[in-house]
Amino acid sequence: MIDVAAVELVANLWDSTIGGLWDDTEAFRTQYFDLDLMTDGDRLDPVLKGFWETLQLSALAGFLSLVWGLVLAVLRQLPGKALAPVRGLTIAYIDAFRGVPLILVLLLVSGGMGALAVEGAIPREIGIPRWFGKPDPFWYGIISLTITYGAYMAEVYRAGIEAVPQGQMEAARSLGMSHGQAMREVIVPQAVRKVIPPLLNDFIALMKDTSLVLVIGFTEVVQAGRDIQSEAFNSSMLVVAGILYLLATIPLARLVDWLIARQQQRYTRVGGGGAAEPAPAGAAGTGQAGGPV
Amino acid sequence: MPTESFLRLEGVEKSFGSLRVLRGIDLDVSQGEVVCVLGPSGSGKSTLLRCINLLEPPDGGRIVLEGQQITGGAGRVGIDFVRRRVGIVFQQFNLFPHKSVVENVSLAQETVLGRNGAEARKKAAALLERVGLAEKLDEYPERLSGGQQQRVAIARALAMDPEVMLFDEVTSALDPELIKEVLDAMRELAEEGMTMIVVTHEIGFARDVGDRAVFMDEGVIVEEGPPKQVLDNPQQERTKRFLGLVLDR
Repeated sequence: MIDVAAVELVANLWDSTIGGLWDDTEAFRTQYFDLDLMTDGDRLDPVLKGFWETLQLSALAGFLSLVWGLVLAVLRQLPGKALAPVRGLTIAYIDAFRGVPLILVLLLVSGGMGALAVEGAIPREIGIPRWFGKPDPFWYGIISLTITYGAYMAEVYRAGIEAVPQGQMEAARSLGMSHGQAMREVIVPQAVRKVIPPLLNDFIALMKDTSLVLVIGFTEVVQAGRDIQSEAFNSSMLVVAGILYLLATIPLARLVDWLIARQQQRYTRVGGGGAAEPAPAGAAGTGQAGGPV
Repeated sequence: MPTESFLRLEGVEKSFGSLRVLRGIDLDVSQGEVVCVLGPSGSGKSTLLRCINLLEPPDGGRIVLEGQQITGGAGRVGIDFVRRRVGIVFQQFNLFPHKSVVENVSLAQETVLGRNGAEARKKAAALLERVGLAEKLDEYPERLSGGQQQRVAIARALAMDPEVMLFDEVTSALDPELIKEVLDAMRELAEEGMTMIVVTHEIGFARDVGDRAVFMDEGVIVEEGPPKQVLDNPQQERTKRFLGLVLDR
């Protein structure tokens, strides 16, 4: 049996909370989802242009970070006592740039390089880069994103390199390959395959972080939306900016899921096929780090 | 039995931390000889092989291959010298999973010996045919049985034209029905005169194919001699106990 008083209580509660909010929906909708404003060509154009800049920043910084991260990861794995300083410096670099905010790097790079160029300490074309018709904040952004995300991606590559069984390096070395040949032909190709999904995740994060370049005066999609917001007292164009981001990032996230699922499938198949995944050698043969392997 | 010393180990020692795995190993191997090394797990057999091709550099003693010392001050020169002459096959095969069978066998020929692609592939195909895998050239390792993978690994090592082959418990990770095909390939190799050091639990193989049997325990060679003598009429208590356990299975 339903208690009438309880029903009334719930109805009152509804009116005073969600129901009340519902009545204010009009103002809310206009603030964030003003379709007239969203479809206003004069206002949409700069946001789309901004998104095009976002895509360029993402693609170029993403590519450079992938390359720079791999270089760092390989430097970190160099063998032997003589190369210990190189390993140490690489670890220090990775620790430093994983540990400070990107926005700080952006300010250090943009303000610092500009000032050094003005003082004549470095050539103007490098200190205030205007390559390929792009303004200097674009290039400061590319440099800062690459410095920072190179460090993140180096860690991802490292995980991949360390996930390749020790026996692979031993097999390559025992065939007479040098450490470099073994890395290039045997270890890195396997490592990269293992870490494509986490690298893509880092790329999604990088794509979102390109928006920080607005603090040094570059108009990408968020800044373009923000310009409209302050002009129209309306946030709908920022919502458009968000939607544009999602149009790029959600497919990427699905791609990551699909790649992971495919990898797992492959694993089970290998496991079931009777082919042994190389295990570490027995107690007597366990490799010691720092050997001539 | 040949007499000329081809590979000589003198007082070879190896420790991992405080664990002394090899406690002074002396061993002379002649050209064309097949030496089978037996012993319980942890006796240092695998480490001995890994010391010979310098995957683990010995801490003490010396190793001389073809009159050239490869340990001590030999450094890089020693590593290059030994890896050009000594092939090794591992318990876990360690094939390159991202390369096809024929690429597994031709990769080091190209990168290390500088053979061109066609030449390397031709040699790889010939070796794979020899180990009975002519049909599998373009398969990937994960599609092969363990016995087939191990035969690819043997072909891969042979492609470098080694003078000595080391076998590290190469049948221990295999299902029983796959062991024979690998042992047959090794037997054929022995008959062709390859110098081999074989760490194995296959008593039958040691008896039939080995020129000499070596029994190791706790990092030392306990007993060695002709296989029939060591295996059928062991002198040492430890050898008897181990063989008793193995043959009782």
